[in-house]
Amino acid sequence: MSVKPSAGCCCSSNAGKKDRPFVGPDELGDFNPAVALGEPGSFPFTRGPHRTMYRERLWTMRQFAGFGSADDTNQRFKYLLGHGQTGLSTAFDLPTLMGRDSDDPLALGEVGRCGVAISSLADMRRLFDGIDQSRVSTSMTINAPAAILLAFYVAVAQEHGVPLEQLRGTLQNDILKEFHAQNEYVFPPVPSVKLVVDTIEFCTEHMPQWNTVSVSGYHIREAGATAAEELAFTLADGMAYVEGSIARGMDVDAFLPRLSFFFDVHNDFFEEIAKLRAARRIWAYVARDRFKAKKERSWLLRMHCQTAGVSLTEQQPMNNLMRVAYQALAAVLGGTQSLHTNSMDETLALPSEHAVKLALRTQQLLAHETNVTQSVDPLGGSYFVEKMTNEIEAKAQAIFKQIDELGGVVKAIDQGYFRRRIAESAQAEQRQIESGEKKVVGVTDFAEDGPPGVDLLQITQDTEDAQVARLKELKAQRDQGKHAAALERLRKDAADGVNVMPALIEAAKADATVGEMMETMKSVFGAYDGGPEW
Amino acid sequence: MTDGKYPPRVLLAKIGLDGHDRGVKVLARSFRDAGLEVIYTGLWQTCEATMCAALQEDVDVVGVSLLSAAHMTVMPEILRIRKELDIEHIPIVLGGIVPEADKPAVLDLGVAAVFNPGSPMDKIIETLRDLAAGHPSFGFDEIIAGYAKRDPHALAKMITILQRGDGLNGWTPPAGDAKVIGVTGAPGVGKSSVIGKLGLMLRERGKRVAVVAIDPSSPVTGGALLGDRLRMMAGAPDVDFFVRSLSSGKGGGSLSPQCPDVVKILNGFGFDYILVETVGAGQADVGIRELSDHTVLLLMPDSGDSVQFSKAGIMEIASCFVVNKCDLAGADATEAQLMSAVGETRPVFRVSTIRNEGLGSVADWITGL
Repeated sequence: MSVKPSAGCCCSSNAGKKDRPFVGPDELGDFNPAVALGEPGSFPFTRGPHRTMYRERLWTMRQFAGFGSADDTNQRFKYLLGHGQTGLSTAFDLPTLMGRDSDDPLALGEVGRCGVAISSLADMRRLFDGIDQSRVSTSMTINAPAAILLAFYVAVAQEHGVPLEQLRGTLQNDILKEFHAQNEYVFPPVPSVKLVVDTIEFCTEHMPQWNTVSVSGYHIREAGATAAEELAFTLADGMAYVEGSIARGMDVDAFLPRLSFFFDVHNDFFEEIAKLRAARRIWAYVARDRFKAKKERSWLLRMHCQTAGVSLTEQQPMNNLMRVAYQALAAVLGGTQSLHTNSMDETLALPSEHAVKLALRTQQLLAHETNVTQSVDPLGGSYFVEKMTNEIEAKAQAIFKQIDELGGVVKAIDQGYFRRRIAESAQAEQRQIESGEKKVVGVTDFAEDGPPGVDLLQITQDTEDAQVARLKELKAQRDQGKHAAALERLRKDAADGVNVMPALIEAAKADATVGEMMETMKSVFGAYDGGPEW
Repeated sequence: MTDGKYPPRVLLAKIGLDGHDRGVKVLARSFRDAGLEVIYTGLWQTCEATMCAALQEDVDVVGVSLLSAAHMTVMPEILRIRKELDIEHIPIVLGGIVPEADKPAVLDLGVAAVFNPGSPMDKIIETLRDLAAGHPSFGFDEIIAGYAKRDPHALAKMITILQRGDGLNGWTPPAGDAKVIGVTGAPGVGKSSVIGKLGLMLRERGKRVAVVAIDPSSPVTGGALLGDRLRMMAGAPDVDFFVRSLSSGKGGGSLSPQCPDVVKILNGFGFDYILVETVGAGQADVGIRELSDHTVLLLMPDSGDSVQFSKAGIMEIASCFVVNKCDLAGADATEAQLMSAVGETRPVFRVSTIRNEGLGSVADWITGL
């Protein structure tokens, strides 16, 4: 059986010229390693943000977790920490992600299903019960209501006497990609970006170790974008946040080192490595030359990676273990700072404890047995990888130009640019699968009959009922006068255009719920109905 | 009945808060390319609004996309409402992440088919065609009798007959006294959002409102992707708020060829206002004028309007002008340009659907007509 190169979306993996199945030095043009690569840890950081990389410090193994009630997730956190995980990563349920309380009519059947349900400060308190916030780094995957969840986290830390400057972690807080891909937006784009800038400003002042935004390509890619589109859209979004923060009057070198990035790592092995290398190079030039950042820390792009959920198949789910392992290797060869490896059963349900452990072990094997950690950027200088890095960078630059011509990211959202491109790329990939041009092992080829046969985590409806009951009790028992005053202050601060973080922290402490705070802000900012669809 | 002569009409819905719409969009486009008529109702719909749309659109199949793991809560609710609305002849299919162990339970509820990620597209389309072909036909006399009793099922079926170009055997609806308001404007200006909000506002004022939303058909396959309805979803079943999507047909105009007859049927049914949205062909298109009593032209700030204002065509036929997206910069300038061009003869309104501002004045203008 011969393997023909696919002519389609991942064309860059077709090595070399048409008549030559390899890349030679003649295809690198005037490639100058000193300019295009530098050494690891030096401008433009193509080879890595740090000189020693994994020799001195392994990437952070950060498995995304969250399901059921705050107590359920609290236990899973403790399980992961007990098995050697080095950072926490919180998945919220859909109602929380959409800024709605567990008792909202649209939350029916979704409470605690795809993540943990957090509607109030009381829930956040239970989520971190017995976990020392000064010692653990916490990532929270939340966007439209990100500022509110950050306010909860801050309020819990203050209750425990943990100084804010000791808090380490990451708020995803990337609302722009929600408009492009994941659809968890609430307010229109302009006030949404304003809220992001509020959190950047607050953290820069009070939480210097906190990563304020995790500018994310993951969801863009999962929704169907190509690798080049993922790279370009993500970096364009990052630039929009930087521009917003500069416009607020902030010093670029004060906040830029705390922006981080989050990429998907898909199946096309070398293309993914090239994408991660190109991301660092592009960002270094943008930070230095366009935003005039002076500190080296501002130039280097730090990233988290997650293996591609969309590449997993329900059919023959054990195959997913191997997919994830190759993707994880690509992320490490691409120089990631932190990694989530998907569990083999994640296309079927939230991962079981057993599947999560195997996913974590995949990373531990890579880190401790393969020795890929011993030489930084081992693929640097490969004709093929360097050519591919150049090509994907050129594609991204062409996309930046289009976005600029449309008037920037927000204007391009209004014109449906991102959604249209992503939907077209998803459709193109589907056609390739339908036509047989693109193979999916265990699905289009080598298929078998029979049910998958893995044990799945079950979330019962009891979780929802209990959470709704707790919320009802909270609403009845809180100090109603203090609660009303806090929401009124929030409304006023939002209307006056000042930073809403202090008002959100006050409202959190007055037991205002996520849904109530979102409704209050919606009354000022308005609600977005989605822009052009096709 | 769909016997292969007509494109099956399929409603695709996402229910609840799950925003994962890659799959449903790929399906919508693939169905269109295969010659089906697809009504996509967008994100964040309730079970009730979805099934209400299925009734009004008289679809052959409803496809529900769920990646939220809420299928054992949502699907029983969908089937309960299907029964309550008396549309049990419409088969329901489910797509998304449904664990193998849950499949028998879902099928037992009365769901016609379950498709998981990786299901071959041709198999899905074949299943939909089969299900549509099994759709029972309703007698013409039955439909006429239902229409006379203001039964929304009959209205929906009658529009389907017209849409297929079959004619009504010489039957004509009673004359009504609805005001027909055409709403036109360039793509992206927010026609569906404005109509959706205006319609609900008129409804709150006790008016009976029908909306006709027109989207282009593919000239090649005859398939169509009708997505405007997603901004016009009513919360609960309401016989006096009726929304219907029409494809423009292969002719390529901005109005459906059956549109005048559909408007007559709606008029005879007893609506007070019929809002007709066109595909947004822009200023070259003046077909809306023959159909409607009044035409609303929608504009938005910063859209190169000053050039358009001076051109003949659509500007002349508009009865009023609505500048949408007034939350954006440039609204003042656009309004000022409009005022100087047409302000003496016709009203100019500023609205923002995002902020829910200014639409009351437009509703006032409409009810004052």
